[in-house]
Amino acid sequence: MFGVGAKGKVLLRSRWGDNLSEYVTAVVWSTDGLLAASSAAGEVVLWQDNNLVNLLPAGLTSIDCLSFSADGKFLAAGGQDSKVRIWDISSFKLPLIPDDKKWQPEQEENSLVTLDNAPKWIDKLSWSPTCNQLAFSLGPDVQIWDADCQKVITTLPFTNSSVLDLAWRPNGNNLAIAGQGGVKIWNTKNWDDDPDLIDLPSASIVTAWSGDSKYIASGNLDNTITVSEYGSPDPWVMRGFPGKVANLSWSRSLSNNTPLLAASSIEGIAVWKKEADDKDGWNARVLALHDRRIQALEFHPHSLLLASAGDDGRLVLWTKAKQVGQILEGASGGFSCLVWDRNGQQLAAGGQNGELIIWSKSKRGKGFG
Amino acid sequence: MVATNINTVPVTVITGYLGAGKTTLLNRILTYEHGKKVAVIVNEFGEVGIDNQLVIDADEEIFEMNNGCICCTVRGDLIRIVGNLMKRRNKFDHLVIETTGLADPAPVIQTFFVDEDMREKISLDAVVTVVDAKHIQQHWEADEAQEQIAFADVILLNKTDLVTPEELEKLENKIKAMNGMAKIYRTQNSELGMDALLEVQAFNLDRALEIDPEFLNEVAHEHDETVKSFAIVESGALDGQKLDNWLGKLLQTRGVDIFRMKGILNIAGEDQRFVFQGVHMLFDGKPDRLWKKEENRKNELVFIGRNLDETRLREDFRQCLV
Repeated sequence: MFGVGAKGKVLLRSRWGDNLSEYVTAVVWSTDGLLAASSAAGEVVLWQDNNLVNLLPAGLTSIDCLSFSADGKFLAAGGQDSKVRIWDISSFKLPLIPDDKKWQPEQEENSLVTLDNAPKWIDKLSWSPTCNQLAFSLGPDVQIWDADCQKVITTLPFTNSSVLDLAWRPNGNNLAIAGQGGVKIWNTKNWDDDPDLIDLPSASIVTAWSGDSKYIASGNLDNTITVSEYGSPDPWVMRGFPGKVANLSWSRSLSNNTPLLAASSIEGIAVWKKEADDKDGWNARVLALHDRRIQALEFHPHSLLLASAGDDGRLVLWTKAKQVGQILEGASGGFSCLVWDRNGQQLAAGGQNGELIIWSKSKRGKGFG
Repeated sequence: MVATNINTVPVTVITGYLGAGKTTLLNRILTYEHGKKVAVIVNEFGEVGIDNQLVIDADEEIFEMNNGCICCTVRGDLIRIVGNLMKRRNKFDHLVIETTGLADPAPVIQTFFVDEDMREKISLDAVVTVVDAKHIQQHWEADEAQEQIAFADVILLNKTDLVTPEELEKLENKIKAMNGMAKIYRTQNSELGMDALLEVQAFNLDRALEIDPEFLNEVAHEHDETVKSFAIVESGALDGQKLDNWLGKLLQTRGVDIFRMKGILNIAGEDQRFVFQGVHMLFDGKPDRLWKKEENRKNELVFIGRNLDETRLREDFRQCLV
């Protein structure tokens, strides 16, 4: 289940594994240590302390995105059948104990709300980091559903194309929506204000805010990355990628108050670091090991340990975002997604043949450095 | 453009004007007992077999990149939807995409060659165009109608019962002049055998170069259409360097007007045939089988495009001969 890197360190140990029936499309942790996972067969499962329960059984259409609300109270799921389902996790009796009578997976009535949005494929959704508002893609629009009044409170027209990605600013003040022509950034305090635009000559396919809410990055279809210090007019443009930029992840801030930005394009990873002088821009180092497409990339929440996973069936932990620290395996048909828990004590990953795996920090490890 | 992988899903693109019979054709493909599991991406939701869970609605979204370079124009919605669909790879083994009546087929085709994810997972099988034999006359001047015919590998000359045999003959000749590469079938109610529609492999370099000898031998007609196709047949060997220079410059300067081209070339000093194809500025070529001993080594090229200067192209090509 795991291999050890060149230096022989064991950073993570395999803790638990199981299988969903198809491609695992998303894995997310709640603040309370619950893990949710979804599959292309339409399953939604919830895991806690090695117990797994079904929220939604395998069906005819896929579930493609999941998100826990910041307070851990709600779980939302969206997918091919155009529905957004929201569960009130706080109404469940925790800890989870698999019990067919209680969970009755054939009935989806244990969901609190189901919003039906035919015929759009819902493939992006995310809860606000500061309140219980849910943003979800709906063709060329994003809708905001508020858990307090249990209503859709606004529809944001991205207009240029279908929504390709969305990201809340960590301070909760803005919502960024990516698509053809760039990124549009709405003010969450006044949804009716015209959005700011980061104008691009191609499509933004992924967008991410740095944890300190200072920078916003966009991975683009024309093999570039655009990084803006939010509010300042001139973005940096980073080139030299072999293909479109499919994944982005920001690290915590370094001592110079700037985080690292990791990006993947086909099988390569570049880690960008900002030079002290703004004029010198950002410089990259390349992390090469994967030999097939990278599907997921995420920094550890409190260190510079970077996790990457791809079609080659390898999940690589890069110490200090530089050297290979450890190589994890367990998805022979390739990994599809990965996510760190909030404390960085556990890592969960999904596989393209339905594998669902959790690793936890090795007791002998001395932190991730 | 890259040759097909073994594990890729073939995709058939269906084009044609509104009312030509695309939906009828789509429903035939969905209900026919061909043993294939077919996923379908449509633009007008609700008209096709809804009980199939793999009928997906998409809006045609054209993504232009790099200052409007035509070969960088792709269908963004397809990148997204096909990406989602490929997670259910084991649920289907053929993909059919229906375009709207007013669509230019080029961005659909280019999506499968330009985007690296698509290139890895999908192989373009054929562009199938349904032509309404009666009503095409009203649309004849429209760019979309001409492009849909010009880009096709398979053309269904449909609703033949609504026109006279003379009209049909005239129409078929007109279509042949625009696209000498496509296989033309006369149909009613879009009725056509599945083997003529699926697994055609028109974009597979190993299979694609069966150029109709009749078309190659045809004496050039005078046509007043701006979209036309023609063949260059020349014996003799080509200077590889000169050919490279000519083709490079041609694609750069005339790529916008060249819809499709393909050919077999005899390069001086090479014992293998060189085969190639192109869509606008995208070009794909590779050495093919050895020339046979008794074979007459010659060059055969087919161009389909708008406002192409046939005389000039022939002359420039001759300049590449050793």
